[in-house]
Amino acid sequence: MIDAERLKILTESAKYDVSCSSSGSARANRKGGIGNAAPAGICHSFTPDGRCISLLKILLSNKCAYNCLYCPNRAEADVPRASATPDEICELTIAFYKRNYIEGLFLSSAVDGSPDSTMERMLETVIKLRKVYNFNGYIHLKGIPKADRLLTFRAAQYVDRMSYNVELPSEHSLKLLAPQKSKESVLLPMRELAAGKRALAEEKSKKKPRFLPAGQTTQMIVGASPEADGQILRLSQAMYRKFSLKRVYFSAYIPVVKHSLLPDKTAGLLREHRLYQADWLMRFYGFSAEEIAGEGDNLPEEYDPKCAWALRHMELFPVEINRAPLEMLLRVPGIGTLGAYKIVRARKFAALGFDDLAKMRIVLKRAKHFITCGGKFYGADNAATVKALLALEARGERYEQLSLFSGEGAVLPMPDAQENSEVRSGTEKRGAEARAQERFALLSTAANAESARTGQL
Amino acid sequence: MNIYITDGTTDCFYTAVFAACTDRDCIVTSAKDFQLPLGARLVEVATDEEKCGRVRKKLRAIDGGALREISLILRRGCAEREMLALRYIRLLIEKNAPVRGMLSHPAVLEARDAIKKVTGEAHNFTGFLRFMEGENGVFYAPFSPDNDILDLILPHFLRRLANQPFVIHDVTRRKAALYNTRDCVIADTDERVSVALSEYEQGFQNLWKEYYRSVNIAQRPHEKQMKGYMPVRYWKFMPEKQDTN
Repeated sequence: MIDAERLKILTESAKYDVSCSSSGSARANRKGGIGNAAPAGICHSFTPDGRCISLLKILLSNKCAYNCLYCPNRAEADVPRASATPDEICELTIAFYKRNYIEGLFLSSAVDGSPDSTMERMLETVIKLRKVYNFNGYIHLKGIPKADRLLTFRAAQYVDRMSYNVELPSEHSLKLLAPQKSKESVLLPMRELAAGKRALAEEKSKKKPRFLPAGQTTQMIVGASPEADGQILRLSQAMYRKFSLKRVYFSAYIPVVKHSLLPDKTAGLLREHRLYQADWLMRFYGFSAEEIAGEGDNLPEEYDPKCAWALRHMELFPVEINRAPLEMLLRVPGIGTLGAYKIVRARKFAALGFDDLAKMRIVLKRAKHFITCGGKFYGADNAATVKALLALEARGERYEQLSLFSGEGAVLPMPDAQENSEVRSGTEKRGAEARAQERFALLSTAANAESARTGQL
Repeated sequence: MNIYITDGTTDCFYTAVFAACTDRDCIVTSAKDFQLPLGARLVEVATDEEKCGRVRKKLRAIDGGALREISLILRRGCAEREMLALRYIRLLIEKNAPVRGMLSHPAVLEARDAIKKVTGEAHNFTGFLRFMEGENGVFYAPFSPDNDILDLILPHFLRRLANQPFVIHDVTRRKAALYNTRDCVIADTDERVSVALSEYEQGFQNLWKEYYRSVNIAQRPHEKQMKGYMPVRYWKFMPEKQDTN
């Protein structure tokens, strides 16, 4: 059995991997075996940094041959080193699983020796866990770049999810900070695995082997290199489309290592948060990366990316809640996917007013500037006021409530905006809405054409 | 005003509904400490197979999914659960059609919230439940959920830990599910049960605590989020949240 000291070293080396999900696989428990996978994923605990523990996240070894500057386990670093045997990892996984501490195993490793020998040991662990220990729970395996293709494909048949970390969003930064890795060494196995999964999906035979039922993910460090958010989002979008990735994780750079090539400041959780918001917009709200941010632009700090997009396209708003198509409801700031689906369902029974929306727990703080209910509009009159109000609100959330005497000029429009809220006529609204829809259609086709061109990796 | 007092079972509730559904100004409750309003008439409801069957049949005819929804609402830990269910049933009868899409109707909203609280907590406990290995090889898991969810989470663990004998004990409701790798029964228990732990148990709990400490990134504290996802009242039976010395 593994001792506490080594468990500590191997966990602390693995904890910067952000991926925590255990979803996407419906592996059943076989007779005489232990465990199954829950398709929605299950969180088993939460640590004081607010992250969930779903999988036992651990390295097989933290003795690394590579020297990536940002990594605490790089070859030159003076840190305690340890490794575990496949049996130790299996026993620990089973013991924790029986007590319902974890949902499965997230196995990663430093490149201990050559990529092939490392991958072999990881594969041995995974096969042992499945065959000898009869484990049918979730396994996430971190792929080792440059390992043999046969090893990778063999592993893919036993695990639920694999991931290769892109780490840095451009070839240039990768060369600078992680000299032993190249963009191609990471993207090649991802591409091959995606092709392998597609080929197997087309096969008709009933007895085809399981192959990465929960797909692939990747991770990027944000703020260790100078790339802008726009570039990061474009790369993510291309990977979603080409490799059918399930998730791209972002991790705000934390300076655990001091080096002249690295910034000595953390990238900040707000930037990471904004990137995740943008990522959600791409995956669930029908936005493309080009709509969210320009190639060299960063996402605005003062409001979320959807607000920023809406403020740039005020000509499309306000939209009528009772008639707007789902795609447009999803683009209203403050209305999320659940809210949009709820509205679409509820308006079949009766026309919805603002009080109905409030009862349905749809937050109107931001949305009221962009919607009408039965022709009524309660938002601020002009785009500039809306902008000021939204920015102010975000600031209030981050710092403190503003007092009447704090000397902030921007507070003043608030009472005016409330009083001036007007009731516009229904006919005028309908015309405006039709125009807005036309523009929306044009916009999305243009965006698609654009992304088809830039979607190359 | 009539006050229908039920014994807390679903059958008894449906028997009460038989009369209460058209009794406009009434209260149905199973709370023992219910305070009677002035001028109220107390009706002790005894389960009646026929009435209960007729209510069920009617509801099934209107909406096939309604019975499950009502059974979920009746698991709520709050005293108004019977009234929530009654208001939902009245709306079903009035419309004579499924109503779950009427999301701006207060009765539907309340019912939806109640269901979400119950199923949400059941999902949480598929993760937050903690087993301890007993001396005899039986795994024991005490918990005290807000809602009555023992038999909702049970199928999950029966599938997952099929070859592991276990006991899941709802400490507040004093009942436990006992499983011996073949059959599973739910039995009434005392509030406290003493369990002799196996010799390895403490060792694994210590390893788990060590893992929990190590996997945390201290530079990014966000305790509020942790407590939001994992409320403090659930910590009582989680080894990683006990004295961390």
